[in-house]
Amino acid sequence: MLDKQLLERILNTALESSADFAEVFVEDKAQSTVMLQSNTIEQAINNHTQGIGVRIAKGYQSVYGYTNSKNHEDMLALARDLAKSFPGERARGEVTLGTMKQGKAHQIKRMPDSVDMKEKVAIVKRANEAARAYSDEIKQVSVSYMDYVQNVWIASSENIYVSDQRVRTRLGIHSVASDGKDMQSGFNGPGGHYGFEFYDTFSVEEAAKEASRVAVTMLHAEECPSGLMPVVIDNGFGGVIFHEACGHSLEATSVAKNASVFSGKKGEQIANPIVTAIDDGTIENAWGSANYDDEGREQTRRVLIKDGVLNTYMIDHLNGRRMDEQSTGSGRRESYKFAPTSRMSNTYIDNGDSTFDEIIAATKYGLYAKKMGGGSVQPATGDFNFAVMEGYMIRDGKIAEPVKGATLIGSGKDALKKIDMVGNNLLRAQGMCGSLSGSIPTDVGQPTVRVSSMTVGGRKGGNA
Amino acid sequence: MNFQRLFDLAKAKGVEAIQIYLKDSQSLELDVFKGDLDKHQMSSTQELTITGIYQGKMGKLKTEAISESHVEMWVEEIIKSASLIESQDEVFIFGGSESYETVDGLLNEDLENQDVKTIMDNTYALEQKVREMDERIDISTAMYRQTRTRVRLQNSQGLTLEKDANSAAYIAQAVARADGDSRTHYEYVQSNVPADFDLDMIAKNAVEKSVSQLGAKPIKSGPYEILLENDASASLLAAYASMFSAESVQKGMSKLINKIGETIASDAITLVDDPFRKASPKSGSFDDEGVATKHKNMILDGKLTGYLHNLKTAKKADTTSTGNGFGGGVAPTNFYIKPGTTTREDAIKNMEKGLIITELAGTHSGTNPISADFSLQASGYYVEAGKIVKPIALITVAGNYLELLQNVTDVLDDLKFGFSFIGSPSLKIKSLDVSGE
Repeated sequence: MLDKQLLERILNTALESSADFAEVFVEDKAQSTVMLQSNTIEQAINNHTQGIGVRIAKGYQSVYGYTNSKNHEDMLALARDLAKSFPGERARGEVTLGTMKQGKAHQIKRMPDSVDMKEKVAIVKRANEAARAYSDEIKQVSVSYMDYVQNVWIASSENIYVSDQRVRTRLGIHSVASDGKDMQSGFNGPGGHYGFEFYDTFSVEEAAKEASRVAVTMLHAEECPSGLMPVVIDNGFGGVIFHEACGHSLEATSVAKNASVFSGKKGEQIANPIVTAIDDGTIENAWGSANYDDEGREQTRRVLIKDGVLNTYMIDHLNGRRMDEQSTGSGRRESYKFAPTSRMSNTYIDNGDSTFDEIIAATKYGLYAKKMGGGSVQPATGDFNFAVMEGYMIRDGKIAEPVKGATLIGSGKDALKKIDMVGNNLLRAQGMCGSLSGSIPTDVGQPTVRVSSMTVGGRKGGNA
Repeated sequence: MNFQRLFDLAKAKGVEAIQIYLKDSQSLELDVFKGDLDKHQMSSTQELTITGIYQGKMGKLKTEAISESHVEMWVEEIIKSASLIESQDEVFIFGGSESYETVDGLLNEDLENQDVKTIMDNTYALEQKVREMDERIDISTAMYRQTRTRVRLQNSQGLTLEKDANSAAYIAQAVARADGDSRTHYEYVQSNVPADFDLDMIAKNAVEKSVSQLGAKPIKSGPYEILLENDASASLLAAYASMFSAESVQKGMSKLINKIGETIASDAITLVDDPFRKASPKSGSFDDEGVATKHKNMILDGKLTGYLHNLKTAKKADTTSTGNGFGGGVAPTNFYIKPGTTTREDAIKNMEKGLIITELAGTHSGTNPISADFSLQASGYYVEAGKIVKPIALITVAGNYLELLQNVTDVLDDLKFGFSFIGSPSLKIKSLDVSGE
């Protein structure tokens, strides 16, 4: 880390012209990954990144620069270069930093760097064996093990001086099933803000089997029919629907610029009253949790939608200026190579009243999307798409044959209003979310929900 | 820093061969949003990748903490990393190819010498052009991206190779709004030749392609003849580029297994991997393993000619590397479908009833690179009797990429590259399943 005097010098150099805000983000991150494929360990890599990002702003305008030079003169030169963007008299007095605050939540029991690589390799092999043992039809399994320790120090002219340690661990199992003609794959990727103790919190074998179960089920699935139909989206990773369809459009990144379908809609009914949605960066040891956001503000719990009414956006410091609102602690970034912006943390639709069985029984014909794949959204229009990894038809209130190759599309503002049943089985799952400030860990989540009508795209012709 | 001490120490510790790959990058990014400078970013970074063979296995590490004081630790880490590897595949640190092509113009000094003020003025001007071209433009953003990357590859087999390349792009985004509907389009030009940046053309396309989508609605489900526009076709090819990698093939993850010499596409399709293409930073005379690159037709008149190889996959298949060892695996360079001669006008003129697909969304999730199946959100226009009738959105198109390649009836003259340097002209396709109303 850099000492306090140097941080103060960088901040004060950055503020030597007419900027009214300066921030330094220092990062040191050690990541280790192990990859297995075809029953053998193919790669074991340590990746060490360290550098600093300096941001200065005047009003809404900001300039960002980063370097991984270890030379203090280079860091000061960067601050001086950035300051040139806002010519004029010095606008702010001397910045002095107080006592550094350090995050205390999300404690780690076994730091990854204290665990022998052989133990990590053993986890990978257990997952591989369990995934293969599931069925003779599993022809290929790849397993990736990842952990990292990210130490950050954030100091800014807003009286912020904090440090935080983010320790994250994830296991990815990718199974491929084949009958010689067709190939289908399944994925499962549990993760959390944990050290190696993460592997005491769930069964590696069960997690691996789950990836194979999806691959084998889809190998025997028919092509999904297409057309408009009710869609029941299951709990856990099903929450990606909310993440894509609404979450991104509630980020200040697009809201502040009036570029979101939800701009200026605070206090308005934007969803069915049975929908309450939350973004909570404080959930203990969750994948998207931290003590502070990447602008050094404490993480909080944000109720985005309360009983269908838009309650708050997710706001970072600079977009907050544009919106004349306070930061909600939502400024996040992948690394020092990105300026922060408003992002999600652990985002989910809260529990409702229906049971899973009630939701299925109430659906005469439709699609049951048990596992979702990834998706994307265009915030300007709210149009979204996402892939169904494991799907089934619902006929006469019962789950019927498995179907593959389905894509769900729609528009965020319509989909929220069309959620007409919300289950009581909330579950979160882990994902990586890519946006302006890079790829960051986020949890998605929801109980089982039903959307009354959605466009389903499949390869088996229309309106079956 | 001088790496000789690393090489000497590695040798003393029993590391059979060692290689460094040092990358220096500088970048400049500008965004102008509704007349204001919204993003201004500059960077300078250095990354070091070290690979070393220890007891026949390849150890690897990456670091940004680059200092002579870490040399001992690096050697330890390489040995540790190698000791965990079980793969029996033969690994290589390469002594060099017989000859390397000279690739001119990778670094354009004219681009390097532009001052930030000129670039900023251009970016402001581009945003203004977009904003003022049509009153339905609600949001306008112009972006500028410039990078310079210097690479040094050096190994204990006596090989030293260097590359220095730059690239820039002007990007315009227009959001058109009317009657409660919003439509957006991104348009860009990427090159390292300043004269290539036609700001008027970029602005015009961004505006026309967003405005003309206003009021777009789904269309009735069913099979339609398709004109897959260049941008959309390039994004689909990018999602399936891994099918052509020998790594995917050897792992049983590509449907192109055992297909060399067979017809896998319409005879109108020729697919090229060209490491010598002008004004592309992907071009270069060597890959990340130090192997000389070469121009290849991956598909020639519909027939699959081979796969992309690195040293490891080539050894397994008893062939030679094609110079596609990138990022620790196999990847294409400038990868594109060769353009034909048909103009867009003519292609639309003889469409009886079909769709022009201008954009595909979700190609990272709605495509299966193993089965080649896809089901993707799409937008574009409905065509009847040779004329564009109305804009279409919120539909999905579904199919299989290999079937699509076989069903290409015409290849247009409008080759365009995406940001990942994978390119395509527009393709006319017999039929795809569309799901809409």
